[in-house]
Order: sequence, then structure tokens, then C-alpha cells
Amino acid sequence: MEADEELVSLAKAGDARAFRELVVRYQRKVYAVALGIVKDPDLAWDVAQEAFVRVHRRLDTFEGKAAFSTWLFRVATHLAIDAVRKERTSRRQDVDDTDEAAMAEGGEGILATALGNDPRENALRRELAGEIERALARLTPDHRAILVLREVEGLTYEELAERLEIPKGTVMSRLFHARKKMQAELRRYAGIAAPEGTEETS
Amino acid sequence: MKACARFRPMIGHRPGELPAGDARELADHLAGCEACRAFAADVEATTGLVAEALLARAAQRDFAPFVDQVMARVEAARAPGVLGWLSARRRALVGLLVPALAALALIVYVLQQDGGTGAALVQVTAEGEATTVIETPDGPIVLLAPEEST
Repeated sequence: MEADEELVSLAKAGDARAFRELVVRYQRKVYAVALGIVKDPDLAWDVAQEAFVRVHRRLDTFEGKAAFSTWLFRVATHLAIDAVRKERTSRRQDVDDTDEAAMAEGGEGILATALGNDPRENALRRELAGEIERALARLTPDHRAILVLREVEGLTYEELAERLEIPKGTVMSRLFHARKKMQAELRRYAGIAAPEGTEETS
Repeated sequence: MKACARFRPMIGHRPGELPAGDARELADHLAGCEACRAFAADVEATTGLVAEALLARAAQRDFAPFVDQVMARVEAARAPGVLGWLSARRRALVGLLVPALAALALIVYVLQQDGGTGAALVQVTAEGEATTVIETPDGPIVLLAPEEST
């Protein structure tokens, strides 16, 4: 299999086959990232295609300082976030502040028991895939984006800060809230009620 | 509680993402806080689910046409100058041209009927695709699209 760098060089020189190869190589993952952010499968399809078109258009400016895939996913992320912004209503929830109310929701640890800790051996996790997607769709756009970039693209805190143009502290806070909400949705799906009056120490 | 508010956003970090001091303090906190340990266990249990679900959904979709559609869009984006511009806006242009051509045809028709004498008094307005108004010396004539006039 040819390396990305090789294919990019060939594509820069006008080799359509090389660019097709890059598209095929990354199409599903780019689509998955877009789907996670925009929710709508058709819009995600369009965003993913547009990401490749934009990248192709600017191939001659690509210097190879970062990996081709990093560049591609950056473009896809921005397109997906822009697409969401266009659809976003004036209703905007600011949920990034870590407060004590969020700490006191309770129910932690139950998911770990219900879902188990080994993703590969846990059938329930596979069954949950559809519900995960629906739960993701119920998060705010900001929360969806950060969870998807963290988990699908595997970005670090620093990379998330750069990609989303927010401070690292906000990255951690937003990620925390996104996880909390995701876990709450999953508990609801699994029929696990968060215990009332759960108190935390320390 | 305040300690939890400080440390919980750090839970789920990867090696090297936290300053060594923070990582150590987090470990100390987790050792003494059952609630945060439970939260950490949930984070661990659910990490990867989002990727798993989205990639599974992507795997279910038929990607056979994807690359051809991308290449077609690449070609369309590269289409030179006026042709590319026209190609990208073909539908909108057709929408504009239809009423304009209808209006032009009416002008010609009215002028022919009038023997050319009333040209200065005839004014034709195309109201979208459905309606055309002809201002004549005898007053306006509103021409409706076939479905509206029946």
C-alpha cells in the first residue's frame, strides 16, 4: 500500500488515481466524524465530499508539515461545524462551566458495572451502537464535536484546543460535561436510574 | 466537592496530557474519593463507544458512489471560468430564463397584433414563473400559468 505522502505527491502532479486512493482510504472515517458532528447522514455525506474537494483544490499548498489525514480531518471538522452553525438557532446553551450541580448528579460507576470494561468482549456495547448515535444527537453541537474529535479522531487536549480554538481548560471542562451528558443518556437507555441524593466526598 | 469539581475534568486524560503535578494530585484525589473513582470507571467503560458507533454506521453505508461523486465535484470545481460558473448555477439560470423568455415572446406577439403602433405603451412584467402582466393602453392583462387559469 502506498503511503499517504506518496499519493499526495502524485495527486499534486495531477494523478487522479492517487487522489481517488486517498478518498477511498479516508472516506468512511471522514464521514463518521462529519456524521457525529452534524447528525444528519445526508448532510454528513455532503460535508465529507466537500472536505475532499476543498483538500484537492488546495493540494498545491500542502507542505506536508502535518500528516495529510490531520489536514483532511481539520478541513472536515471545520466544514461540519460550519454546517451546524448555519442550522443552529439562537437557543444556545452554555454548559461549559464546571459547577457543583454537575458534580452532584450522581449515578457514577453504574455504567461501568452495566457495560463492563472490555469493549471487544462486550456484546452490549455493540448493541448500544444505535443508541449511542441517538444519544450523541441529543447533545449540544459543541459537546458532539468535542466527543467525536476526541474519540473518533483521537485528538489530544492540545490538538482539541487548537482545532476548536478554545483554551485547554475549556477543552477539559467541555469534554467532562459532554461525557456526563452522554452517560446520563446511556443510563436512561439502560434503564438505570441515577440514585437520588448521591453525595460526594472530598 | 470543590476538589471533585477541580479534578473531574482531568479524568479521562491520556499519558502526558496533564502536567506531572496535576496528574499526581488527581491520583491522590482518586485514591480518597469513591464518587470520582466511580466516574472514572464510567469514563473508562464508555470511552470508545462513540467511535465504535459512528464507524459502525459508516461501515453500514454503501460508499460505492462516494469517490466518483467526489471526483465529479472536483472536476466541476475546476471547470474553467464562465462555463464553470454557468454549470454550477444551471438550475437558477433556467428559473430566471423561463419567465424572461415568456415575457419576450409576449412582447413580440403583442407587437405583431398591434401592428407595431402600440409598442411604447406595452409594458410586460414577469412575476416569477407563474404570472405575467401586460400593461396595455386598455389596462393590465394578467396572464396566469395554465394550472391557475383552469
